[in-house]
Amino acid sequence: MTEMTVHGRGGQGGVTLAKLIASAYFLRNKYVQAFGVYAAERSGAPVQAFIRIDDEEITNHNQVREPDHVIVLDRTLIGPRVVLGLRPDGWLVLNSPDPPEKFAELFPGRNVATVDATGIAVGNGLGTRTVPIVNTTMLGATAKVLGLELADVEGAMRLVGFGGPNVTSARQAFEAVATRKLPGKVERATPRAPAARTASILDEDLGGMPTIRTGNWATRHPARHQLTPPCNDGCPAGNDVRGFVQAVGRKELDEALQIILRTSPLPGVCGRVCPAPCMEACNRREHDEAVNVREIERYVADHARWPAVTKPTRAERIAVVGSGPAGLSAVYHLARLGYRVTLFELGKELGGVLRTGIPSYRLPRDVLDREISFIVRHGVEVRCGQTVDRQRLLDMTHEFAAVFVATGLQESRALKLGQGYSDMVSQGIDFLDRVRRGEENLTGQRVVVIGGGNTAMDAARSARRIGARSVQILYRRTRHEMPAIAEEIDEALEEGIELHELVAPLRMHEDALGPVLTCQRMRLGEPDASGRRSPVPIESEDAQFEVHCDRVILALGQTPDLSVFPEGSDVREGHALLGLTAAPVFAGGDFATNEGTVTAAIGSGRRAALHIHRTLTGEDLFPPAPPEVAGPERITTHVFAHAPRERGVIVPAAMRQNSFTEVRLGLIDEPGHSAAVVEAARCFSCGVCNECDRCLSYCPEGVMRFKGEGNYEFDYDYCKGCGLCATQCPRGVVYMAEL
Amino acid sequence: MARVLDTGNHFAGDVLALAGEANRGARGAICGAYPITPQTEIVEILRDFQFTKGRVVPVESEHSAMAVCIGGSLAGARSFTASSSNGLAYMVENIFAAAYYRLPIVLIGVNRTLGPPWNIWTDQGDTLMLRDAAWLQFYTESHQELVDTILVAFRVAEDRRVLLPALVAEDGFVVSHTQMVVDLPEQEQVDRYLPPCNVPHRLRGKGVTVGGMTFPHETEKHRWEIQQAMERVPEVLAEALDEFEKVFGRRPHGALSAEHTEDAEVILVACNTMARTLRRAVQRRRAEGQKVGMIKAKLFRPFPRKEFLRAIGPAKRVGVLDRNHSPGSGGIFWNEIAATLQGRSDVLLQDYLVGLGGGDVTPELIDEIFDDLAARNQAADPVWKEVPA
Repeated sequence: MTEMTVHGRGGQGGVTLAKLIASAYFLRNKYVQAFGVYAAERSGAPVQAFIRIDDEEITNHNQVREPDHVIVLDRTLIGPRVVLGLRPDGWLVLNSPDPPEKFAELFPGRNVATVDATGIAVGNGLGTRTVPIVNTTMLGATAKVLGLELADVEGAMRLVGFGGPNVTSARQAFEAVATRKLPGKVERATPRAPAARTASILDEDLGGMPTIRTGNWATRHPARHQLTPPCNDGCPAGNDVRGFVQAVGRKELDEALQIILRTSPLPGVCGRVCPAPCMEACNRREHDEAVNVREIERYVADHARWPAVTKPTRAERIAVVGSGPAGLSAVYHLARLGYRVTLFELGKELGGVLRTGIPSYRLPRDVLDREISFIVRHGVEVRCGQTVDRQRLLDMTHEFAAVFVATGLQESRALKLGQGYSDMVSQGIDFLDRVRRGEENLTGQRVVVIGGGNTAMDAARSARRIGARSVQILYRRTRHEMPAIAEEIDEALEEGIELHELVAPLRMHEDALGPVLTCQRMRLGEPDASGRRSPVPIESEDAQFEVHCDRVILALGQTPDLSVFPEGSDVREGHALLGLTAAPVFAGGDFATNEGTVTAAIGSGRRAALHIHRTLTGEDLFPPAPPEVAGPERITTHVFAHAPRERGVIVPAAMRQNSFTEVRLGLIDEPGHSAAVVEAARCFSCGVCNECDRCLSYCPEGVMRFKGEGNYEFDYDYCKGCGLCATQCPRGVVYMAEL
Repeated sequence: MARVLDTGNHFAGDVLALAGEANRGARGAICGAYPITPQTEIVEILRDFQFTKGRVVPVESEHSAMAVCIGGSLAGARSFTASSSNGLAYMVENIFAAAYYRLPIVLIGVNRTLGPPWNIWTDQGDTLMLRDAAWLQFYTESHQELVDTILVAFRVAEDRRVLLPALVAEDGFVVSHTQMVVDLPEQEQVDRYLPPCNVPHRLRGKGVTVGGMTFPHETEKHRWEIQQAMERVPEVLAEALDEFEKVFGRRPHGALSAEHTEDAEVILVACNTMARTLRRAVQRRRAEGQKVGMIKAKLFRPFPRKEFLRAIGPAKRVGVLDRNHSPGSGGIFWNEIAATLQGRSDVLLQDYLVGLGGGDVTPELIDEIFDDLAARNQAADPVWKEVPA
């Protein structure tokens, strides 16, 4: 009599394989018997089936203890247990992509056959890689090993009612199976030790039911990882956006501010003027609308308690040139690291472009002053009205341990519109500074603004506020390509400003009614280096038209003035100028990166502080590389109810005329309703556990335990690997790992 | 007749369908069907079978499944069902009713341990619970015997001299879910073997009360009639086997099978698949020259006392393998045999409780028992083979 044992997992078809093997011998007129071991096990549990083949009638019905051959259907079951009782000269047929030699250590002296049954079965569409159905494939391999013919395999398949891909798979396995007698001596497998005690229903502990560790049913285990939220990934300042938004959702405002202040000292500024790439990246956009992060940040800055400042603790003095967002950020972070910082500013007041280039209806002066004051209070020495040229910079390197230059963009791009019109053409940045100082009045004038960035919007809206009769913005691409913040464009239009898309200025001339700007209509062509489609003039007779105007404001972007650096310097962020100077000189902000946003400058300033610290001390405080970003595919959005965004209060357009008071009033607290908290609660907390307990609630086995502080423990002794926790995790933290 | 490889449950379902279909010329077939592990495939197969005349009625419980059979049988249909363990327990009230109505229903009992504690493996305690239910009880050792005995059971139960329901037991999983080869009868053969089912007291469309109130002396007569019917079973069974042999060309075991008992000194008794494992041990010991024998117990009700006493022959030591237990007494087969052997003080009768709750009865275990019995000088209390000391 020949006896065989099949090891498989519930659902893999081990009993059917036993029947197939029995059928092959039945067709050869042998007496056969095939049966499984049935119990409470379900899908995935390790189970056995047995086969007996004999020339005479088979009369015993007990389980096979000492099989002649063993067949293993599942890779994860290959281990010492499968050879228990296997006769020394018997075959061990394994579903494995590895050659038999791979098992030399595990099964010395054994006859081992391997075949990649999973690969073959999946290749033929039998089940999936997670749940492959390999029994028919393993029949082919086993038949070859046992010296049967392909005809036996096909006959057995026919008898049991299999065809198509099952037969193909069996044939492929018949050809592909690799056999080898492994070197070494067969080790006698020790039989299972009897249970230490037998259960009695009179036991106090639940009737003393036997312990069945159902964890061995699993072929994969749940595990947890923290991912990078897309908002964090998108924030040029490096803010933990998710972290502070979640804190607001928990009504922990002070905690939220502390989180922001780890990376940015200007939350009130960013909460007003940041283009908010975090909101562009927000996964909630896939569901309804992005979380209103900008307004939440502003709310935190305006409502949380600002912490006490620290004072310098180190001897090293560091100079920072330029008090725009990059300079202020660098100052702040250097001061927090304990350095004595001296801040040099050309203007009379600190703030750079934040003060001169952003109108107060967008960024009120008291907000800017509050945050600059917070930074300066960290023991910073401030020197305003300082011109720093190349020689001064070199001198500084003798006085300071390091110098950081972040003088921003000083040179505005010009446009030749014809001679004799310089009086009526201004640069947007200059115009805004003059407006701030009360040196401009456009009462009754017709104004044309050229450009599509925030400076263009600011200039147009400021012109409106100081009396312009009409304001028209000309932009050579379409609104879609405009770099300005979308809300700024909306608010400009609300204020009566006209936007002309796909229009480029050509030249000024004069007719009987006064100055005229000739314009060219454009169309969008191929994308340029920035990825935006570039404007191409339309060549037709009516593609040019004229606009009467009294004032033209150019807002075409700016470039840095690099003359402060020695000739041939490679001005790059994070790149210290060494050798040419006495102390390392770093550059950052728009001056070095030309990224063009306050937030990017803040990030650049912070990195400069970390570079300087690393250069001076060798200590690397740069954050480690962030984990993978939790994209929308990781988020179980159906878990979340649809909820409209809290937009905050905006002063109606009619009330904004002639006023430089703030247009947006932010998220407002009303009795019983904090708009900021409600809005923050819309945050999915992508990729980061926020202890929502959904995994725990859905675990059908009760094998999860909350361990506090965002930690959960799985009891793998009893986890069957069903994966519900992973599919129910709304934020991609829980995932299933193959064993 | 076709040789087919399949499980005990598939064969049981197939043969019940053949038997039901064989009554298509008379009052057809009725089955009340309710699933329970390890019986489920039987009712699944029947549910899918298209009877020419008759139907399978899915119900909400075992109690109702038997109620359907009672109704069907009272209407003259060939009626059958199957159940196991706690399902049989729930069916019990109607199981008694079926017998007391004298209805020739056939019930497949797929042996499974009664719970709690929960256990799905084989143990004859569930069908032996029905010892006093006035049903014929056959215990089968193999797939083939299951197939053959179901047909024999119909023929005996429906015989006018018997008119009692019959239970055919098979081991759960060991037979029910094990693939083995069987000579499966053809419909034409079954048609020849089973005459049309004739329930003489069936309802004939006029209002009658069945099983109404009776007084003590009438009740006593009712029970006496059942006893008389039971006593006629051996002769009816013998005829049924003769006829079976004519139609199918083979002869299943009758009330029991005595093997190598003519000169045996030591005999073991077992039913169901244990008997087959026992047979191997006996044959091996015989080959070694040992005077051992066996009795395969098949018919438990009526218990074949005369055949049994004859079968023991000269043996002085008889051991009983009981895969069941009557608490406060011992093995149930052992009880029957002890009653049968009353007055035979020359025979040492020892009970062995083995494989309870589906324990694996191995050839090694049977060898141990043979050795134990051969060494005994006097009988002891039933021996529990699996309980740790």
